[in-house]
Amino acid sequence: MHSTKVSKGESEGLVANRVLLTLLVAALIGAALLPFAAMAPNRLVSGQSVGLVSALLAWQWGTLGLLAVLLGLCALSRPFSLPAAYRLVLVAAPLWLLLVLYGLGSYADRALEDASSAARISQGAAFWIVAFCPVLMIVDAFQRLHTNLALRSLYAALLAGSVAAMFALDVFDGLAILREYANNRELFAAEFATHLRLVASALGPALAIGLPLGLLAHRRSGARGPLFGLLNFFQTIPSIALFALLVAPLAALSEALPFLRALGVKGIGATPAIIALIMYALLPIVRNTYAGFAGVAATTLEAARGMGMTSRQILWRVEIPLALPVILSGLRIVTVQAIGLTVVAALIGAGGLGSFIFQGLGQYAIDLVLLGAVPTIALAVVADFLLQILVAISKPAGAR
Amino acid sequence: MIELQGLTKTYAGKDVVEEVSLRVESGEFGVLIGPSGCGKSTTLRMINRLIPITRGRILLGDEDVTELPPEQLRRRIGYAIQSTGLFPHWTVAENIAVVPGLLKWPKQRIDARIDELLNLFHLDAGEFRHKYPHQLSGGQAQRVGVARALAADPEALLMDEPFGAVDPLTRDVLQNEMLRVHRQTGKTIVFVTHDMDEALKLASRIAILNAGRLVQYDRPIELLTQPADEFVRNFIGKADLGLKLLSRRWVYQYQQSAEILEQPSSFHHDRSSVTHGWEIDDQGRPLCLHGGRLYAEESEQRTRVTHEWSATPDMTMKEALSRMVWFRVMVLPVLDEQERLIGEVAMQGVMGREP
Amino acid sequence: MRAVTLRAPTQGRTWLLVGLSVLLVVLVLFMEALKPLFQFAFPDLQSPLYDRESFLQLTLDHLLLVLVSSVISVSVGVGAGLFVTRRGGREFEPLVSSLAAIGQTFPPAAVLAIVVPLAGFGFVPTIVALTLYGLLPVVQNTIAGLGTVPATTLEAARGTGMSRAQILLRVELPLAMRVIIAGVRVSVIINIGTATIGSTVGAQSLGTPIIAGLVGNNIAYVIQGAVLVGLLAIVTDLFFERLERRFSFGG
Repeated sequence: MHSTKVSKGESEGLVANRVLLTLLVAALIGAALLPFAAMAPNRLVSGQSVGLVSALLAWQWGTLGLLAVLLGLCALSRPFSLPAAYRLVLVAAPLWLLLVLYGLGSYADRALEDASSAARISQGAAFWIVAFCPVLMIVDAFQRLHTNLALRSLYAALLAGSVAAMFALDVFDGLAILREYANNRELFAAEFATHLRLVASALGPALAIGLPLGLLAHRRSGARGPLFGLLNFFQTIPSIALFALLVAPLAALSEALPFLRALGVKGIGATPAIIALIMYALLPIVRNTYAGFAGVAATTLEAARGMGMTSRQILWRVEIPLALPVILSGLRIVTVQAIGLTVVAALIGAGGLGSFIFQGLGQYAIDLVLLGAVPTIALAVVADFLLQILVAISKPAGAR
Repeated sequence: MIELQGLTKTYAGKDVVEEVSLRVESGEFGVLIGPSGCGKSTTLRMINRLIPITRGRILLGDEDVTELPPEQLRRRIGYAIQSTGLFPHWTVAENIAVVPGLLKWPKQRIDARIDELLNLFHLDAGEFRHKYPHQLSGGQAQRVGVARALAADPEALLMDEPFGAVDPLTRDVLQNEMLRVHRQTGKTIVFVTHDMDEALKLASRIAILNAGRLVQYDRPIELLTQPADEFVRNFIGKADLGLKLLSRRWVYQYQQSAEILEQPSSFHHDRSSVTHGWEIDDQGRPLCLHGGRLYAEESEQRTRVTHEWSATPDMTMKEALSRMVWFRVMVLPVLDEQERLIGEVAMQGVMGREP
Repeated sequence: MRAVTLRAPTQGRTWLLVGLSVLLVVLVLFMEALKPLFQFAFPDLQSPLYDRESFLQLTLDHLLLVLVSSVISVSVGVGAGLFVTRRGGREFEPLVSSLAAIGQTFPPAAVLAIVVPLAGFGFVPTIVALTLYGLLPVVQNTIAGLGTVPATTLEAARGTGMSRAQILLRVELPLAMRVIIAGVRVSVIINIGTATIGSTVGAQSLGTPIIAGLVGNNIAYVIQGAVLVGLLAIVTDLFFERLERRFSFGG
């Protein structure tokens, strides 16, 4: 009567993969109705919209159309068998993605040929949709194939490598965001490094404080309530408020204690940013450390004690290895969170990629905003992915 | 040898174990049993000092273990618990190697010991060494748990309801294996259970605890025949006391000589003083029984000997009786390992004498 | 592994919620009364009290941003969560789940920034960004919450002859409610924070005095905005905590 899992394809007639079909239709509608790119005479005014078909060369949108037909066939129950269709998606969707990227770059190059040097080409809403949909198709295909993490990682690395190669081959150089980058090359490198440095200098102390606190929460049930209450309190305060609230006391402190000033502690800048980032990072670290230790089965610990392990041996050989994946999941959350919060830290003068965003917003220079926002998102996604792999590796072979 | 002297545990001013004194001799299989909350587990866990002792002494051999560092003591005593407590992140081999590793045995000796123990439990070493606990069935995991407890050749073995979480069929198999391993290794065992049938099957001595006190400590047969008080009588279960008793009696104790018929075809119950007789082949294996049925007037007076309708000397009398009742025959052939007829047990014998 | 619940003691939380709420309201209405205090603390400042808009107006603007985006997020998010857990939409469940997970790795501030070129400056992009971002925890927790309803419970509900709608409304949603509310809580708290940053893209909120203070080097403005928005977030969080507890059925 009630089906455990609707068997895909057989019972549903013509359409075998409704997810793929939906994504494809969304991409096509987006491509038809929304602007693919925009061209503006200079960086401060908004541009004139161009649709996908008029922006791309005939062979480009023709090939995109063929790929769309192929993907459409993959979504149907015939002619391809299901696993074959999924694998075909894994070939066609990235080709689509790379072609869209290449098409945008080549459009920018062509459009700029007979335009003033101040002219700007930027990507429009249709571009984001047409680029994002194939990514989701790939994710969906992998989920249906139940591919393991190693293969997925390899695939993602290949895809990322292809996109990176396009950057290296100057495909996108005509785009406004890369023009902006070209103008700020050194500054970008510096702010990128600052961003990473801020994240790293917050994560180090956060781990050093959070791991013992998590262990404490596990060992002393009485400490748990107040500790989590306090850390949740930090986490609740909006980032900009916490950053800002630290400015005043730190300024006063640095005013009062010259040796702190000598160390570089100031009301504005990296110090309040790092302190705030640590405060935000503590809750996930402490919570996951606690959950990791609490998740070790009581019988396992009983057996360890019963066999004559010392408490130190139990901690290092049993509890920590078993809790590690959960602790690292906490680190994953915290790293991604810190990368995002560091954006806001630019408002109190800590620097980082956020400074492009807020500078751009202040000058109504959208391309500068994107120069800050897109790499931040990319950084967060990449960090998330890498830490996900680390979590998977840290899972003991025997644990489920 | 493990001896408890006036062992007492007090929690929040209340004695949960009160003045328990008993002695499990070397090679004995001692079982602690009682209703939940009687202190049997607490007593067991005080022996390897997982729970600190409030008062009293524990002797292991002639040593007072209360003076040893707890970790050292525990490495000398094997410990197996319900749902195994196997380390999920280690293979079977690594799990078994824990205590030998803690005792810094050389690697070769540990490896040899792992193989030896897996063989002891009929687990193929090549196959099981590298498996992880979650890849084992409940029964296999429990065997590995006991193997791990035996790994460093401990002076004694403590087991806390080790078979509590497995299904009845597997439990029965594991109990038989435990008896065999006990025979083969001669370890001193202290075993906690709440299942009286398990206790009667395994124990050479049973300690019944109630509300933290030792009520009776005796051999199973004495427990059944001379219960110390009403509590023990109730706890053992009055209803099937007789059957429980038979579960501690063995066929060889009741075995009688069997009458072999020279000319089976001429057997007639009416004409001889013999009520029944056995027809055997030239190897000495019984083919069928003439006579001996519950009702002498039944027309068919021959019973074919089968695997189900026969007994071995080490079978419990409870099971032998069960087979007689089921097949409605007053006697049962007793076979040796080559399935030759070596005697018989009879219904009258069950009631007759005390062995 | 993750079944560990962190429960704060109930006692004391109620009066904390009431006390902080009163404090918030009083500060919003009568911040001017504290002008001498700020004057005393920051004697160098010409204008120690933010007075371009009233704090009541800023708070209402802030609440409007959060309310509008949260109402959309919650209705769309719960709807999507329901859709992908029914038979017709189950095929979409893995993709929607991973989309919600991936989306949450995007920094809220960056999402806000990236919406600007698509939707312009002001109230609208902030609402769009808040709504999009707020969707994700709601969807995720709706799916997770409905997933925690034991199969035996559903079997029993079906066995008693309840219709599908009855099962959903009387069994599944009540049992999933605590987890769904936890998602809404995360969503709303993030939105309160992101709405603060919304002032950098031209949406007026409690972030406005903070930004003005940071730009104009006026710490008093910063403190006034930050204290109010911090209090608002904490009061909201405590409120949702109570709400969540009401829907926990001992499990």
